Amino acid sequence: MSNIAGKSYAMNVITPITGWVYYVNRIKFAAVQFSVSRKLGTTGFWGKLVPLRLAELIYDRLNGLLTLSLIHYARWAIIKQFPHIDESQPKEALKYHYMLFFSNFNGSWKQYVDSFHMAIPNGLDLLWYKNVSYPNSVPLQPFHKYITYNQVWTNHYYNAYPLAASNDIKGAQTLKDELEKFIDESDLDADPELFQIRFESLLESQQQNMGLLAATPIISLSANAVIEREA
Amino acid sequence: MGNRFGNAYGLTVLVPIKQGTANNRSFDKIIRDQLQRWPKHSGSPFALVPNTYLARAFLLQDVFYQGAPAVEEHLKNKYLVVTSNFFGDLDEYLHGMWEAISDALKTVLKHCYGFDQVVSAADFVLYIKKCKINNSLFFNGSNDRPLPEQLKALYVKQAFIHFAYLSQHFRYQGESGAINLQKSFKRFVALIDIHNLKGNSWPVAAVKVPTDIETTIKATIVTYQESIK
Amino acid sequence: MSATETVLDLHDIQGNIVFGYGRWGYPVSRYLFFKINDKQQGMAFVEALIPLVTSSAPLDSQINEGANKVTTNLAFTYAGLRELGLPDDSMRSFPEDFRMGMKARKDILGDDGPSSPENWDPIWQNNYDVHMFMSINARSEENLIERYEQVLVLLQDAGDGAELLSGHKSQTGEELSQYQSGNAIMLNGKLTANEHFHYADGIGNPVFKGQGRNKADTVGNGKPTRSSPDTQDGWEALETGEFILGHRDESSEYPIAPNPRLLSYNGSFMVYRKLHQNVGKFNDYLQKTSKYYGEDGLSDDEKQETLKAKFAGRWSNGAPLASYPDYASAMKFGEHWEQATHTLYHDPEASTQQKEAARKIYQDLKTKRSGFNYANDSKGASCPLGAHTRRTNPRGSLEFDNKGAFDTPGAMVNRRRILRRGLPYGDSSDRSDDDGEHGTIFMVINASIERQFEFVQQQWINYGNDFKLSNEKDALLGNHELDQGGNPDGKTVINSNKTLGQPTFMCSGMPRFVETRGGDYFFIPSLTALRMIAAGIIDPT
Repeated sequence: MSNIAGKSYAMNVITPITGWVYYVNRIKFAAVQFSVSRKLGTTGFWGKLVPLRLAELIYDRLNGLLTLSLIHYARWAIIKQFPHIDESQPKEALKYHYMLFFSNFNGSWKQYVDSFHMAIPNGLDLLWYKNVSYPNSVPLQPFHKYITYNQVWTNHYYNAYPLAASNDIKGAQTLKDELEKFIDESDLDADPELFQIRFESLLESQQQNMGLLAATPIISLSANAVIEREA
Repeated sequence: MGNRFGNAYGLTVLVPIKQGTANNRSFDKIIRDQLQRWPKHSGSPFALVPNTYLARAFLLQDVFYQGAPAVEEHLKNKYLVVTSNFFGDLDEYLHGMWEAISDALKTVLKHCYGFDQVVSAADFVLYIKKCKINNSLFFNGSNDRPLPEQLKALYVKQAFIHFAYLSQHFRYQGESGAINLQKSFKRFVALIDIHNLKGNSWPVAAVKVPTDIETTIKATIVTYQESIK
Repeated sequence: MSATETVLDLHDIQGNIVFGYGRWGYPVSRYLFFKINDKQQGMAFVEALIPLVTSSAPLDSQINEGANKVTTNLAFTYAGLRELGLPDDSMRSFPEDFRMGMKARKDILGDDGPSSPENWDPIWQNNYDVHMFMSINARSEENLIERYEQVLVLLQDAGDGAELLSGHKSQTGEELSQYQSGNAIMLNGKLTANEHFHYADGIGNPVFKGQGRNKADTVGNGKPTRSSPDTQDGWEALETGEFILGHRDESSEYPIAPNPRLLSYNGSFMVYRKLHQNVGKFNDYLQKTSKYYGEDGLSDDEKQETLKAKFAGRWSNGAPLASYPDYASAMKFGEHWEQATHTLYHDPEASTQQKEAARKIYQDLKTKRSGFNYANDSKGASCPLGAHTRRTNPRGSLEFDNKGAFDTPGAMVNRRRILRRGLPYGDSSDRSDDDGEHGTIFMVINASIERQFEFVQQQWINYGNDFKLSNEKDALLGNHELDQGGNPDGKTVINSNKTLGQPTFMCSGMPRFVETRGGDYFFIPSLTALRMIAAGIIDPT
């Protein structure tokens, strides 16, 4: 049982939210999700009528999260009603709605909650707006305690590339796309000196993607112990 | 709407687990026991499901009481929570999952409500959709290429870096350096076969850097002996 | 003085937290490590040492403690506090990093291979015998020895209750010493701020509220604001609580601290590390590799200097690459610096007018030396993205090209700052030597060892993801590995500088230039807590 698979950490958090806050949160998330689709150009006809500038006002609030660059994929889901799929299944009768948060990020939770909460405190407060007992993201200790208290440990975590951080995936894709273009446009049989000039130019354009991949640093001694147990 | 970010899909599933026990252990604990014993990395059932970037499973036993003045309440059911981040269309993904690991799925899901009616891929797709929660927000901090492309890119990056380091000396060898660089690069292109996602690539769920990448790249570099022939 | 200005009781805080003695005119030092065998006698020994302890009040005002000539400070390991009888509740309230000690956390720090604890000095080859640390920093060798002998006399009074541990490899490498020496490096008869690779060291040290520094000193050393980095508006002092327990930290709270409050208030945590430097390998590597590096028209030596600067992020004379990207401008900086400091401090014939002019120039150069950021250098053309000083203090550059993405430009950095104290040890006149006893006694002071020191060491020195450099390590300090054939395999990219005609330059086959030879984690109590520990009256109930 571990929340770690190579360079990625699986965080699962479930927190209660009260009635009316549910609606506020739905609208808030919908606005963000819409602005994402608008920015990516994947909305339907009506969506495209919304001016891009307006959507960008909201999309830019994700800027901090994107700049942190430590996340592979993350999601927020609000459960109004737990799935009820069979007559014989008891129906839940809950006072609260529940917000689920799942993230795959690089590093240990302890290390990165420290960075996140200083970099995007307003963003975090918006995402956990009025969740029951939410203490705000600054200062750190109550926030850290809140998230850890509501964390559910992962029983099985799968990562298709444990040796790759989110930055590695992104950088590799950029490099591959550029290299592919370069190969397709190169004459490998003539004019070696021209080729060399072009090659140097490619190298220079990709110099920020020149770090080799290797195993993750030991982010906690308990994680290390898990690795040693399994070796 | 909140399930996609480009071509990447964030599937969130809560499967209700039946009340009951087997061998003096309640069904939900049995499921958790199984999950914890699933092999990791390339041995994981998820490794067989095409286009899975990152996935997880855990038992949601109950909700957490926040302490007064919050209200204490409990779930009537336990849920198997499964999330997957993958490339592509949901139906196709779930079809692919059933085709690849239906046995593992049956073992884990046999104590869940309604699963006894699932006998085909089509049934499975419908079943999962009933258990699906729509995300309010799905954030993609990475990219949304198909997994084989992501893996190929990792391999290409590692290979290119080795090539760049190993061929730097050609820069300082004038005309013959340029000739040898081009020759070496030609061999490099053949080796990495960049368009072929099924060729040389980064192994799925690799926990150790494949050692042959550096050695095979080394072999593409035109050596002094070769160049003076 | 405004109501919100931080006022610290400097008399209650140990002096090594506020002063880096080496740079303040105390260029020689000894570091002593004691074992406590008997609680009562141990406490009495600590009690006897208290009159010698230096506080953070102005040094020349601490005459009774002799601080105008020599300073003394004390710190304790977890085992040491237990031997002195600190109650269980207090012991349990210390953070895990301190409780485990540095040796047990070697996997986090990357202390493997040649840096592995089995290669450390004999004094560290025990199970928790190191209990108390004492540093003695002095203006002269005479002052140093005088204080040392004073301490030995007090130790004698403790009988068997306390002993001075031996086991430091000394200059000759053969005998084992009862203390570790430190000494500023002399070149041509002059004291320098160099370390053994001959970089000017100790330039960038954080400035925090209440420390008593003037505003000009915060330039480049505090936390960055959104204003221009070469002005005082561009920087603010860091919150005290990043370095001293019991005070507000950058996350607007008091840092986690042991109980009771009187035990931790005004105290801090210290990391002590003996870092051996492979001077021969370093110079050899630079010489070999720099042949093809550098601007056209530079001699071989000048190319070597340039590559050396690219590793560190600063030239040997301290000029930052970010502001002085080329050899000529860096040498000019060095010349002006020499001239100004000579006139100010070493020229007996300089007039008052000349001194005033020199002071202005000196202040200006100091600002240029520290007051910069990497905003105009996002591709690393001036200062490589993986250069040492860029890694250990990224300033605002972790926002990358997205200005304004974070709440403050330093949001990812302000909680990872560390105070660096210490001195070089040994002699490296033989620039080709690796095996001799020479290196740096590296001490870090911070409120949280795990959050600050260990994070920088593990994530920024031995790894590169935060800089988007995958697993690339710091060229100077990284724990470079060996390849399958057992050959050094360290790699780093020196980013291109088109203006200077430097293409992307890849350095490979780097050996480890720095190796760990010992150390541990210590708690530096306030003068109040020190008295209470000596009197045995710490009570967390």
